[in-house]
Amino acid sequence: MTGGKSVQERYRRLKESALLREEDLYRRPVVRVGMATCGIAAGAAPVKEAFTRFIEEKGIDARVVEVGCMGHCYAEPLAIISKPGFPALCYGYLDEDLVERLVEDFLLNDDPCYEFALVALETNDVFPTFSDFPRGVHEQKIVLEHCGFIDPGDIDQYIATGGYGALAGALAGEPAAVLERVKESHLRGRGGAGFPAGLKWEAAVRAGGSEKYVICNADEGDPGAFMDRSILESCPHQVIEGMLLCAYAVGAAQGYLYIRAEYPLAVKRVQLALEQAREKGLLGTAILGTPFNCDLEIFMGSGAFVCGESSALVRSMEGLMGIPATRPPRLAESGFRGRPTVLNNVKTFAYIPPIINRGVDWFRSIGTAENPGTAVFSLVGKVSHTGLVEVPMGTTLRELIEDVGEGVPNDKAFKAAQIGGPSGGCLPEASLDIPIDFDSLQEAGAIMGSGGLVVLDEDDCMVAIARYFLEFTQQESCGKCTFCRLGTKHMLDILTAITEGRGEPEHLEILAQLAGDVKEGSLCNLGKTAPNPILTTLRYFREEYEAHIKEKRCPALMCKDLIVYYIEPSLCSKLCSVCVGSCPTEAIYTRTDGLKAIDQDKCTKCDNCLKTCPPDYNAVIKLSPPELLAEKEGKGS
Amino acid sequence: MSLIEGEEELIRNGVAEALLDHDRARESLIPLLLKVQGKLGYLPALAMELIAEALQIPAVDVYGLATFYNRFRLNPPGKHQIQVCMGTACYMVGGDIALDCFERRLEIGEDETTPDREFSLERVACVGCCTMAPVVVVDELVEGHVTPTRVDGILLSFGREIPKSAEKTEQEGENSP
Amino acid sequence: MSKKVTITIDGREIEAHEGEKVLWVALDNSIFIPNLCALKEKEHPSGSCRLCYVQVEGRPEPVTACTLAAKEGLSVQTRSPQVDRLVKSAFELLLSNHRLGCGRCPRRKSCALLKIARERGLKMRLSRLSALELDVEIDESPETFAFDRSRCLLCGRCVWICQEVARVGALGFTNRGITRRVGTFREVSLAQSPCTECGLCVEACPSGALYFKEKSDDK
Repeated sequence: MTGGKSVQERYRRLKESALLREEDLYRRPVVRVGMATCGIAAGAAPVKEAFTRFIEEKGIDARVVEVGCMGHCYAEPLAIISKPGFPALCYGYLDEDLVERLVEDFLLNDDPCYEFALVALETNDVFPTFSDFPRGVHEQKIVLEHCGFIDPGDIDQYIATGGYGALAGALAGEPAAVLERVKESHLRGRGGAGFPAGLKWEAAVRAGGSEKYVICNADEGDPGAFMDRSILESCPHQVIEGMLLCAYAVGAAQGYLYIRAEYPLAVKRVQLALEQAREKGLLGTAILGTPFNCDLEIFMGSGAFVCGESSALVRSMEGLMGIPATRPPRLAESGFRGRPTVLNNVKTFAYIPPIINRGVDWFRSIGTAENPGTAVFSLVGKVSHTGLVEVPMGTTLRELIEDVGEGVPNDKAFKAAQIGGPSGGCLPEASLDIPIDFDSLQEAGAIMGSGGLVVLDEDDCMVAIARYFLEFTQQESCGKCTFCRLGTKHMLDILTAITEGRGEPEHLEILAQLAGDVKEGSLCNLGKTAPNPILTTLRYFREEYEAHIKEKRCPALMCKDLIVYYIEPSLCSKLCSVCVGSCPTEAIYTRTDGLKAIDQDKCTKCDNCLKTCPPDYNAVIKLSPPELLAEKEGKGS
Repeated sequence: MSLIEGEEELIRNGVAEALLDHDRARESLIPLLLKVQGKLGYLPALAMELIAEALQIPAVDVYGLATFYNRFRLNPPGKHQIQVCMGTACYMVGGDIALDCFERRLEIGEDETTPDREFSLERVACVGCCTMAPVVVVDELVEGHVTPTRVDGILLSFGREIPKSAEKTEQEGENSP
Repeated sequence: MSKKVTITIDGREIEAHEGEKVLWVALDNSIFIPNLCALKEKEHPSGSCRLCYVQVEGRPEPVTACTLAAKEGLSVQTRSPQVDRLVKSAFELLLSNHRLGCGRCPRRKSCALLKIARERGLKMRLSRLSALELDVEIDESPETFAFDRSRCLLCGRCVWICQEVARVGALGFTNRGITRRVGTFREVSLAQSPCTECGLCVEACPSGALYFKEKSDDK
């Protein structure tokens, strides 16, 4: 492209002014409050308000800035305080009292209250940084690099980190150079299947024609995965820059971000980011003064998990039901409006600017040969440090769960890692040493999927979890093809029967057959992967199915129809009646001897009494199979 | 359901206004439906017919879309919307228990609205606050760690009496004819 | 015109247009492949019934014939153990959601399911699955025909004909997943819908879901 020099010059001016603003900002103390959806849910809004109020009351010259999610969701609300002369420090579990103290002691006086600090952001002599913790040793951030550190509502903060520099550099050269780099990087699409992004782009280039589209799939619907939302809320510009680089490489002048309407904050922040990029001449016509034109728009998805499937997503953008289409053609040949279309996941696009900036060798030095780069997970469930993590491909599940997540809390035993959501599988303890990458996970029966990782412990029933996912896919099946519409329904019915104690010995065989047929026979990947939760639990936890079917017993004491609640008289105290008050159905009564007992006819098994019974007694227990009750009652009372 | 006076006017205006911002093309269908629902709270039959007419597509296609996507609703929602998250993390720690409690207290099932139109109850797939599971979203406010006791607390905060016994208290309607 | 190619189906060499879907090449040459949702006039195959699986030489997994394009040298077997297993499974899944009792069905002489059962030696009853609950209301509101949803297989032929050929737009798909159905705007009866009773949908129906009141198989 002509005028390479003037592009770079324009970008240099943008960056200079951004750096000046940043320098000016950090001349005084700055408080960055984590305000992604997770932070707000944990109470970040009143925390931010408290910082602002106390700073004003005390007449301190300091700024309060909204940032996105740092990934340490377990400790939210979180804030980073930077004060000249001190390393930037991150504080967690904030509330109004702690905020008041931090403002008084740290901002007004010079005591950083190290006892409340979680971590320092830069190396110093006093306080540990991320790399001093097991999590920091494993974590390597590419996609999440800026998330939680910059204000997503201020484009200058992204530019100050070097943002849009990859775009400027690319525009100074030929589109083919961008494509070449992405191909050489061996970046695999992060939407689930791991198809090489470069090959997808190349197909769109080859398809020819003047009208092409770039679409970012942010229709994240996996229950238990929220990284796409978090990225869009925390660093939308990195995704936008990635999309622009793709548009330049394939020759598209229009792109869309397909975002779930259930993510209102992400929609709002992306909208603002697009406006700011347009104002700076980074989006729209004559980008950075070059002949390259490209505009991006938001399309709001209306809640259909199947729209994560690319052909269904495109159909929904065309005003149709989100129903997958038969292939060929592929989207790269005939996609949105029948034109060549590149559709990639949020994370895939977010990798592009760093790859262009730092080069192919750098990217391929991270991760494994076949799976370069990092894996982003939302780590949730029975794990101490829940949150958003990014580790190099090839890290083992054990490292991820035990080091990064700090293991299973409450001295419970680990049972399984559920990876890849409804399309993924449950891997047992024995599989924990497999490296995380597309191929190894698939071999073990799970999939990388979009990166949800739910840790399950001894209290979680594997039949119930398989049933839960089947219920989800069955509800979210578009209903078009026979195998998915009816196959998932029959599989769900069988699993329901098993969890309710109506399982028959032949059910396991039928379940395995159906699962195999649905996997092979379904039209799209939603159907083809729907049986994975069943197949993996049957493979690794068959004995739990058998206990449900043969003994009508739920080993994890989770399936309501196979358990009863019982108050152990030898543990119960006459002096306490917490459980009586906590029972929403008045099923608990006081016996003549003052101890408590449960009227089984009234009990809804809501678990409230077990939760509220004071730890001194722990008198409420669950029994399975329910027949054990007669035995207990015979002995007790 | 028949429309009360003034309602028809409201619907017609709502649709006309939404149509101003969009091309009259099939592609605009979902954005239009979202916008109209944003205004009216639901998609009345008349609105779907007007949109079908404007885009020159069969009304059954508009209805098909409205019944395909989770987000669209064909009936007016309650004044307070309670969404119980059924993401994996929430389910594993008792999201279904929270849903049960709301159903029991409000005496409605999921996707239903109380007869006084005060509350509507629905289950939603992951709202992305897995670290605070189980999560309930009440009128866009996220409530974390929702136990049965907290369910009662939430309803009490809206002035909903929690019956202390199984007997139901009859309440007289305020607007007598 | 596209160029001619030679493909092999079950050992028979057959001339076909390049790109033509193998399902139609086979059917035009009197080779039976089970199918419900396929419509020759429809440019893009729906691929929803999953019954037309065939085995392609050199490919491990069965492929649907409605999406498989003819090209020079393509060799296809209409039967293989894998194909038979998938077809049997899909067939039983459809039956589990279909009102049986063929004796009383108006289409008992021209039913596509019966034909598939005959050709492939499949039973018209459930072996491993339980029958699902059916929607048994019958819409008898049109003068000339009726619509019995409990026999509908969701192949979508009627919807396509109603919208693309008759250009009436009375019928459409509504809802999602297991509740997906062929319906009308707000599920009103056909008489209350824009239906003109042209009857094209009835002719397109492969099962006993849509049938003429006067011309059913026993008249």
